[in-house]
Amino acid sequence: MKKIFIGIIALSAILLIPIKGVFAGGHYTGPDLSGQKVKIFGPWLAPEDESFRDVLSIFEKATGASVEYGGSDEFEQIINIDCKAGNPADIAVFPQPGLAANIAATGCLAPQGNDLKQMVLDHYAAGQSWVDLTTYADKNGKDQFYGIFFRVNVKSLVWYSPDNFEDNGYEVPETMEELLSLTEKMASDGNTPWCIGLESGGATGWPATDWMEEIMLRTHPPSVYDQWVSNEMAFNDQKVIDAMNFFGTFALNDKYVAGGSKAVATTGFRDSPKGLFTSPAQCMMHRQASFIPAFFPEGVEAGVDYDFFYFPAYASKDLGRPVLGAGTVITATNNNPATTELMKFLMHPEAHERFMSKGGFLTPHKGVDKSKYASDTFRGLHDILVGATTFRFDGSDLMPGAVGAGSFWTGMVDYTNGKSAKEVADAIQASWDAIK
Amino acid sequence: MEIFALILTVFIGLLCFVIYFGLSNFVLDYLLIYKNHSFVYENSIRVLIFIAPAFIVLFVFILYPVFETVRLSFYDKFGREFVGLHNYLWAINDPNFRRSILNNLGWLLIVPTLSTFFGLVIANLTDRIWWGTIAKSIIFMPMAISFVGAGVIWKFIYDYRGTGDQQIGLLNAIVVSFGFEPQAWLTIAIWNNLFLMAIMIWIQTGLALVIFSAALRGIPKETLEAARMDGASELRIFWSIIIPFLERTILVIWTMITILVLRVFDVIYAMTNGEWQTEVLANLMYDWMFRGGGDSGRGSVLAFCIMIGVIPILVWNLYRHRQEQQYEN
Repeated sequence: MKKIFIGIIALSAILLIPIKGVFAGGHYTGPDLSGQKVKIFGPWLAPEDESFRDVLSIFEKATGASVEYGGSDEFEQIINIDCKAGNPADIAVFPQPGLAANIAATGCLAPQGNDLKQMVLDHYAAGQSWVDLTTYADKNGKDQFYGIFFRVNVKSLVWYSPDNFEDNGYEVPETMEELLSLTEKMASDGNTPWCIGLESGGATGWPATDWMEEIMLRTHPPSVYDQWVSNEMAFNDQKVIDAMNFFGTFALNDKYVAGGSKAVATTGFRDSPKGLFTSPAQCMMHRQASFIPAFFPEGVEAGVDYDFFYFPAYASKDLGRPVLGAGTVITATNNNPATTELMKFLMHPEAHERFMSKGGFLTPHKGVDKSKYASDTFRGLHDILVGATTFRFDGSDLMPGAVGAGSFWTGMVDYTNGKSAKEVADAIQASWDAIK
Repeated sequence: MEIFALILTVFIGLLCFVIYFGLSNFVLDYLLIYKNHSFVYENSIRVLIFIAPAFIVLFVFILYPVFETVRLSFYDKFGREFVGLHNYLWAINDPNFRRSILNNLGWLLIVPTLSTFFGLVIANLTDRIWWGTIAKSIIFMPMAISFVGAGVIWKFIYDYRGTGDQQIGLLNAIVVSFGFEPQAWLTIAIWNNLFLMAIMIWIQTGLALVIFSAALRGIPKETLEAARMDGASELRIFWSIIIPFLERTILVIWTMITILVLRVFDVIYAMTNGEWQTEVLANLMYDWMFRGGGDSGRGSVLAFCIMIGVIPILVWNLYRHRQEQQYEN
């Protein structure tokens, strides 16, 4: 009798999975989870945290559960402390998949079910690559699926002020050659071409790692990029040193960067783009990921006060249009019903559309209504993301934490402060060897 | 609701202790008086009963973590596989580690010395002027600020903007007004350590000042008057009377600040996070222990090094304390 009963439950569960997996479209409806509490911890601070809380309010209304989100600039360290102390938040939002993989290996994260995995495969463009990026070895070395990408960004962008370009008669460069000659022209006109800021509290240096990745993708085939990220090719390989020196042509030239090269490492990455909007402008261009308009001064309008162009590739090299991206991974530390349901909710188009409408949010979700994006800017980004010839994930996020979130950052800071590229690359490779 | 739970927890905790002490004491009395047992170590047992909870707390929160740290320093980054001395060898070969040791030594030499020196001098200078109390209050004020708060304030002082831009940093504004080039102070390797130490000195001078001011009052007026009558200069009085009288206080303050400086972390963390070669052991430990997925093996090695550094100072402190007690007896 009991066996039959269990059988019926199991059968109905199997039948239910596909039904739950399919979105009816429109509004999210969830089970009744009144009285349940879900705590979320992530790296988002103002203004993104408000948008995220707004997304969560849909879930709260639909299920009756209460969700609490807390953010910190020191997420990387605190998630470790919380895990070791044994009381992590129910859901952790990782800014880097590499870090999530490290935490997963400690057994702190809970593997997610196949139904969630299927949702990612079905609804995300290039679903398999997103699944691969959230599949990590667990405590026993077995590969498990741990979470979903929520809020992706495209990095290969250069932000500029159309007014400034028009006043000076500059044209948006289509190729790297044009970008280099434009940079030179701006400097000879007495303008400062670039704003570069690397300061980011405990994560100082990361914006320079993005520069390195962009340059690697534009000077070498993607396979070289992959070897670099996995350290099959040493960090102090001449190719990497050349890339660093290429970054130096922008960052170490006092005429090319706002405030001079000394200001590069001490300027906050959040403050850096503000130089585009001062009068007179402190700089003409700012290379940064798609999330950066969130830090633009209040009142500036997309398409009018600022616009972006694709950080171009060399016309002389046959490397296509590589796009560099990154994203935040949402993982759970337990499989409580409310936690599991919230993970599924975050795959629902409504969750994505709400964040999209708030701005600063980009998604590879194919089921969303593109008109929900707050601006044409993001509709344009969405197209870049879905249509790249080569898409590569932020390399420093894929390197081991001690390198990608440690010596690589420090190395780039040292480089902008006057150390030679060779010296820096040697030190980073040494730190990589030390943890092998 | 949560406050209520908190009060309840505190209350239950206190109740448990009252019951523990009352009951165990009662049992001991009962055995001694009513059952007429006599124990040889009666007093020792009573002492043991009363200090046992303190011992347990000490063990769980201080001794156990020490042993666990030492154990973890011989294991891999997850604390699972034994790797022998591998982590220690890594530390010796790590340039950041060596840099941190050097920086820590610099901090140990400079900060306690200057804080004590400034504290002593200012205490003397402000002792006999009418606005001395006001000056002292102002100098003491930084003590009320947390290190991170101080870091944020000093970040503004050292702020750098490119040549030609409006300097919002105090130091650069001054430098520029004298016609010099602005500097990115925090990035000038080796010297930037001094700029960071200035923050600690700024905070700790207040502490030294207050304690020295109190100690100055303890110097007998007669001695000072006699010296003045004999025609000793103020400088002579300072060296030959005040310093010998304050010798113990100086040592106490020195060790206090030294121990504080050994585990200096907050200032570095808030200001540079160890970049530009300002790394110190405590910050390096935090980085390895918790950043990028964490590495409890290497983190523990660094924590152990800090502990090794503190121990001689503690032992010396205890030894001195013992001697003083013997002297007084």
